[in-house]
Amino acid sequence: MAIDAERYILAGQHASIDGRKQFVVFSRPEKFMPNQKAVHPELYSPDSAGIPSLTGGKCRACGYVFFPPQRYGCESCGAPPEKLEAAELRGCGRLHSYATVHLYQGKDIEAPFTVGLIVLDEGPAIRSLLTSRTDDGLTIGDRMNSVLVAAGTDPDGNQMVELRFARAEAGR
Amino acid sequence: MKKNLRDMRPVYVVGIGLHRYQRLSETPYVTLGLTAVREALADAALEWRSVQSAYTGTALIGMAASRPMLRHLGATGIPMAQVENASASGSTAFRQACIDVASGLTDVSLAVGVDKPGPVAMAPGKTRMRDLVGSRVVPFTHFALLTQEYMTRYGVSAEQVAQVAVKNNRNGANNPYAQRQKAVTLAEVMSGPAISGSLTRLQCCPVGEGAAAVIVASDDAIADLGIDRSRAVKVIASVTKTEQVYRDAKNFDAELTRETVEQAYREAGIAPGDLDLMELHDAFTIEELLYTEAMGLCAPGEAAGAIAAGDFDIGGRCAVSASGGLLAMGHPIGPTGAGQIAEITRQLRGEAGVRQQPNAKTALAHMVGVGAVCVVHILQKGA
Repeated sequence: MAIDAERYILAGQHASIDGRKQFVVFSRPEKFMPNQKAVHPELYSPDSAGIPSLTGGKCRACGYVFFPPQRYGCESCGAPPEKLEAAELRGCGRLHSYATVHLYQGKDIEAPFTVGLIVLDEGPAIRSLLTSRTDDGLTIGDRMNSVLVAAGTDPDGNQMVELRFARAEAGR
Repeated sequence: MKKNLRDMRPVYVVGIGLHRYQRLSETPYVTLGLTAVREALADAALEWRSVQSAYTGTALIGMAASRPMLRHLGATGIPMAQVENASASGSTAFRQACIDVASGLTDVSLAVGVDKPGPVAMAPGKTRMRDLVGSRVVPFTHFALLTQEYMTRYGVSAEQVAQVAVKNNRNGANNPYAQRQKAVTLAEVMSGPAISGSLTRLQCCPVGEGAAAVIVASDDAIADLGIDRSRAVKVIASVTKTEQVYRDAKNFDAELTRETVEQAYREAGIAPGDLDLMELHDAFTIEELLYTEAMGLCAPGEAAGAIAAGDFDIGGRCAVSASGGLLAMGHPIGPTGAGQIAEITRQLRGEAGVRQQPNAKTALAHMVGVGAVCVVHILQKGA
């Protein structure tokens, strides 16, 4: 079946997985520009081109940058919610650690999967699933970039996408 | 002016008792708790009517656990409260009992920890602060991440980390109150089911039930009630701290432990080298390495070598987890912190039998809990 490559690029699924550039294939490839929804829309946008950014938070009073976002108050200086604002975090960072999870009770995904602890360039240390199921090829210190991966469809037929991290290609 | 426990009246542990930690059974929590409390009363040679306040450390049993259990010792009308501080519930119940006596509110108080495995209701899950991983990352993955970082940073192997489980199960095999009473080889630890990262099943503490009780008393009570002073062990530090924003450190567990223990050393007037014995939060093997280093027992990255050299064995320079620790004695949650106090008291009295750390005079008990919170006590014989 001939694949219209342009459709996939426009649909924002140009992803770097395991160091190789790949197109993430939808379950319904004949659908042009399918509706995409982020699994966690408050944390990232579903239609980012390039490296998806994350939505974190920043305290205007003391400059503290944090993830995940919240509007309760600043953990660092105690400033009230009015002093907190959303902060776009680039989705680039360094791999501080990783672990492959073998035991998982949830029904949403299957073990094994690999979790990374990534220190984003802006400062916050975050945990995220990585695109690879195992830790092959991972080294602490690797540059990591965020990617959106297909995460099933919702009851209305929308393509769900979820943010994960993968090793950055050289030069990014 | 702000005080610490040491500034107030002296407090002594005078009675200890436990119900063995074990897998979930049909035993009601009341039976678990009363077994431990009666053993502590007998140990102290005290009647229940001498106890003037009671704190029950529990994370899972549910609302109002104290009186339905303690009424069966005789309903004496004393103040009671439940204390929940996640894994540190029993430690915090002990601290509250100490504060009652030290402040002069009571002369004799009880701390009893009791729990049975069950559904866990977690407040942190109700903050609506969602991150990228949610329930896909649970404690064993949190510690698997710390393990990988530690191994990479210090060139320590997975086998070296696993040796903590070998040591602690060897100790637990000699502890009649321990859930796991079976020595295991390194091969058995490494070949067990993989849980997360390099952590295998025996490198994670078991889930179980149990109870542990500690009775504390003042000098006045020891004199008035004829308590055996030669078996009384003094509490010389009690410190609780919570996690702060650590700008540079990625390992908040170690930082929190370091801060809390440093304050406890200052309060007790001791240095790390003065400790003969300690019980710490070894729910996962990596934690014993992280916390012994954070507490200054050895330099960063050197704990695995210290264990290999026998430094933390019974008979070594500081016996760590002589009871078997959380890994082998178990972690039923409510009881755990109180059970640590029972173990170090038994050791400081010279009554630990086969598990005895020779010449034990000063000992530390350390727990951390989700929050995160850290609770540390230091006890000393002949203080």
